[in-house]
Amino acid sequence: MDTLAARDQWVNHVHPLVKFIVTLCYIAAVVSFSKYDIVGLAGMAVYPVAVFILSENSFLDSVRRLRFVLPLVCLVGICNPLFDKSTVMLGGMAVSAGILSMAALIMKGVFALMASYLLIATTPAETLCCAFRMLHIPRILVTQFLLTYRYITVLLEEAERITQAYALRAPGQKGVHFKVWGSLAGQLLLRSMDRAEEVYESMQLRGYRGDFGYMRERLSFRWQDGAYLIFWLGVILLFRVVPVVSVVGSIV
Amino acid sequence: MSHIHIDVENVSFSYDKGREILSGISFHAAEHDSVGIIGANGAGKSTLLKLLVGLRLDFNGTVRVEDIPVEKGTLPQVRSRIGYVFQDSESQLFMNTVREDIAFAPRNYGLPEGEVEKRVEQALEMTGIAHLKDRAIYKLSGGEKKLASIASILSMNPDILLMDEPSIALDPKNRRNLIHILNSFHHLKLIASHDLDMILDTCRRTILLSGGRIIRDGRTEDILTDKKLLEDNGLELPLTLQGQNRID
Repeated sequence: MDTLAARDQWVNHVHPLVKFIVTLCYIAAVVSFSKYDIVGLAGMAVYPVAVFILSENSFLDSVRRLRFVLPLVCLVGICNPLFDKSTVMLGGMAVSAGILSMAALIMKGVFALMASYLLIATTPAETLCCAFRMLHIPRILVTQFLLTYRYITVLLEEAERITQAYALRAPGQKGVHFKVWGSLAGQLLLRSMDRAEEVYESMQLRGYRGDFGYMRERLSFRWQDGAYLIFWLGVILLFRVVPVVSVVGSIV
Repeated sequence: MSHIHIDVENVSFSYDKGREILSGISFHAAEHDSVGIIGANGAGKSTLLKLLVGLRLDFNGTVRVEDIPVEKGTLPQVRSRIGYVFQDSESQLFMNTVREDIAFAPRNYGLPEGEVEKRVEQALEMTGIAHLKDRAIYKLSGGEKKLASIASILSMNPDILLMDEPSIALDPKNRRNLIHILNSFHHLKLIASHDLDMILDTCRRTILLSGGRIIRDGRTEDILTDKKLLEDNGLELPLTLQGQNRID
C-alpha cells in the first residue's frame, strides 16, 4: 500500500485533505440511500471507477488485497431475505424486498470499502495524518491511526517469520497444526507488540510529536485541488439527488 | 567542561522486581570520547543505552545529558541531542523509502526543506547508499537496512551517537565503511557491541559490563588485550589479537 501511495500519479498528488473530504462525503452519500434503492446506488459506482482509472490502480489487485474483508461486508445483509419477506416494485416487476435490501447493503459496504481503499492507495499515511491534524482531529487519535496502520505491517511481517520458522521445522506438514495455534498466536501478539513499540520509540527519538508541521508547508493547496474538490462534490451531489441511472435508462 | 557530555550516577534498573539488569552504574563521558560498551549476552549493554536516551525512565539514580537530567519533561531536549541506532534496523525504519526515512528527523525538527535535502544527501553519501535513496524500505537487504538506519540518525547531526550492535548484518566492506564513519564522528559516541575488533578500531575507551555491573572502565587496548579478564566475563580476545597470539 505504501508503494501504491508513493507512486507518481496525478491523483496521488491531490491534497490529502481534499481526498479525505471527498471520501467522507462519498461514504456519507452512499450510506444515506434508502435500503431498497439499488438503482440509485448503482450510479454511485462512478466515483470508485473513475478514481481506479485516474490513479491507474488495478481493480483485481484491490479485490485481492481486500479478500479477507470483502466477504464480511457481503455477509452483513445475508439474513435480510429471511426477515424481510415483503415485495417491492422495481422496473414494473415485483421483487423480494429482502433480496433488494441485501443487495443494497452489500453495495453500500463495497463502495465504502473501495473508497477508503482508494484513499489509502493514493495517499501516504503520513500525509493523511497531516490532513487529520488540519481538521484538528486530536493528536492522540492521529497517532493511534498512524501506529495502527504501521502495526498491521509489523503484524504481517511477524506472522510471516513465525510461519516460515514453523514450516522449516515441520517439513511435509500442510499448514500449522491446531495444537500450536494458541502458542503461535500468543507469540505473534507479543512479538508484534514489542516491535510496534520499538517503531514508536524510533519515531519519538527522531522528533515525532504527533504533529506534522513540516508536512503542512510541503502540502500547498493548488487550484487543481480546489477544482478536484468542487468537481467530485458536485458529482456526488448530482448522483445522490438526481436518479441519474433511471433518467439515462429512460432516455435509452 | 565542554557542553557535550553524559553523566551517569549510581544507576540501577530492573524490568521486573526479581532481577536487576543494571546495578550501581556510574561513569562520565565527555566530548570527543569514543566509548565501547562490551559484555556477554544479558550483561545490560542495550538496556544502558536505552536509559541514556530515556526509553526507560523507571530507573534509580541520575542520568544527565549535557547537564539536562533525563526525565519525562526533558525528553524532547535530550533526544534532540542524541542519535540512537537500534540493534534491530527493522524496527527503526518505518517510512516508505530510504530518502523519506532519512529526512524524517530533520523535518520533524523543523529544518527548512533545502537543509533537509542537504543533510539527506550527506548522510547517504557518508553511508555509501546514495544508489538506494528511492528504494522502498521493505526491499532492502539486512545490511542495507542497517546502513539506512545509521544514515537516518546521521542526518540529525547529533551531538552524541549511541549505537547498539551497529556492525550486525554488515559485510566486510560495509563494516569497514562503518568503522570509517564512526571514526569521522568527533563528538561523543557510545557503541555497544560484541564485535570487539570493531571496538578496538573505533573506541579509545571501553566499559566492560557483567551481570549489570561495571567490571572495568579504561583504555580499550588495556581491556581488550586482557585475556583472563575477558574470559572471566564471558568474552574472548578480539579476532585480530587471537591471530597475533597464534603467531607469537
